[in-house]
Amino acid sequence: MTVMATRPAVALHKDPFVQDLATTALHDLTDRCPRVRYATVLTEDGFEVDGVPAYEDDRLSSMSSSMQALSEAVARELALGPARCLIVAADAGHIIQLRIPGQQLVLAAVFELDEPLAEALGSCRFAAERFAAALASR
Amino acid sequence: MEHIILFAGPMGAGKTTAIRSLSETPVISTEAANTDLATADKATTTVAMDYGEIGVTDEEKVRLYGIPGQRRFDFMWRILRDRAEGMVLLVHNDHPDPVNAMREYLIEFADLCQRGGVAIGITRMDVRPGPILTDYTDVLERERPDLMVPVLPVDPRDRGNMEMLLMSLIANIEMRGSYGRVFA
Repeated sequence: MTVMATRPAVALHKDPFVQDLATTALHDLTDRCPRVRYATVLTEDGFEVDGVPAYEDDRLSSMSSSMQALSEAVARELALGPARCLIVAADAGHIIQLRIPGQQLVLAAVFELDEPLAEALGSCRFAAERFAAALASR
Repeated sequence: MEHIILFAGPMGAGKTTAIRSLSETPVISTEAANTDLATADKATTTVAMDYGEIGVTDEEKVRLYGIPGQRRFDFMWRILRDRAEGMVLLVHNDHPDPVNAMREYLIEFADLCQRGGVAIGITRMDVRPGPILTDYTDVLERERPDLMVPVLPVDPRDRGNMEMLLMSLIANIEMRGSYGRVFA
């Protein structure tokens, strides 16, 4: 978890700069992986920054926030070091999520079952790292 | 044997602090940075759960689960409440509408209150003028005459306060005969 040192003028999920970068990252991901059913960038406390395709139910962001915190807590409790990613392999698809490196943001994506898991994970990492680099340049 | 107690209440009521005061084991927390400080002036917020334990005997323990205070995490409420035997409801008195917040939680967790037990702790009563205890108990007597609910002013940082509230809950549960004695 990272904690803000100063109060920002606008909430992270409403920051236009962050929203633009999130949109770019999500399109990066969907360009590389056409079998993304849904992808979202969310704040670590569960607010959606952007999602593709547009999705009216923001509960995925809330659930992803909880899962991210739980996975990081488990890794911490077992002294396994930082949690790099979380994978849920279900009968009808995969969920992959990971923190945008160094940020209070998480990338979460739901893939069709026929999307190879390794490729999906690699694409998520690529998008997250590009996002982090762009955000750091501000 | 294990007993599961839920700590519920609005964001900022002191649930995480209360579990830290009570737990005999290091508390597992899932706090995230609060990225929307305009809505709630709090550095972090619980997004999944807090977890602590109290050992009663070698074979018996009380598991303390704190749930997120924000409704967008209500799926965690449902996951955890189904296993719980009782609920400590914390409400901060400087909440914009604390009595109504108490009422909403009692409605949301009506099943747990009915089959288990509930004890209510009012926090931050010394921060600024707000409702007094009878404002809460009057609503309870009027709307839930079937429930006998202890309502205490508490400081979640104070272990003694929180033990008192927890014991009140245990007594409340035992009185309903939901399960046998928790503390030997």
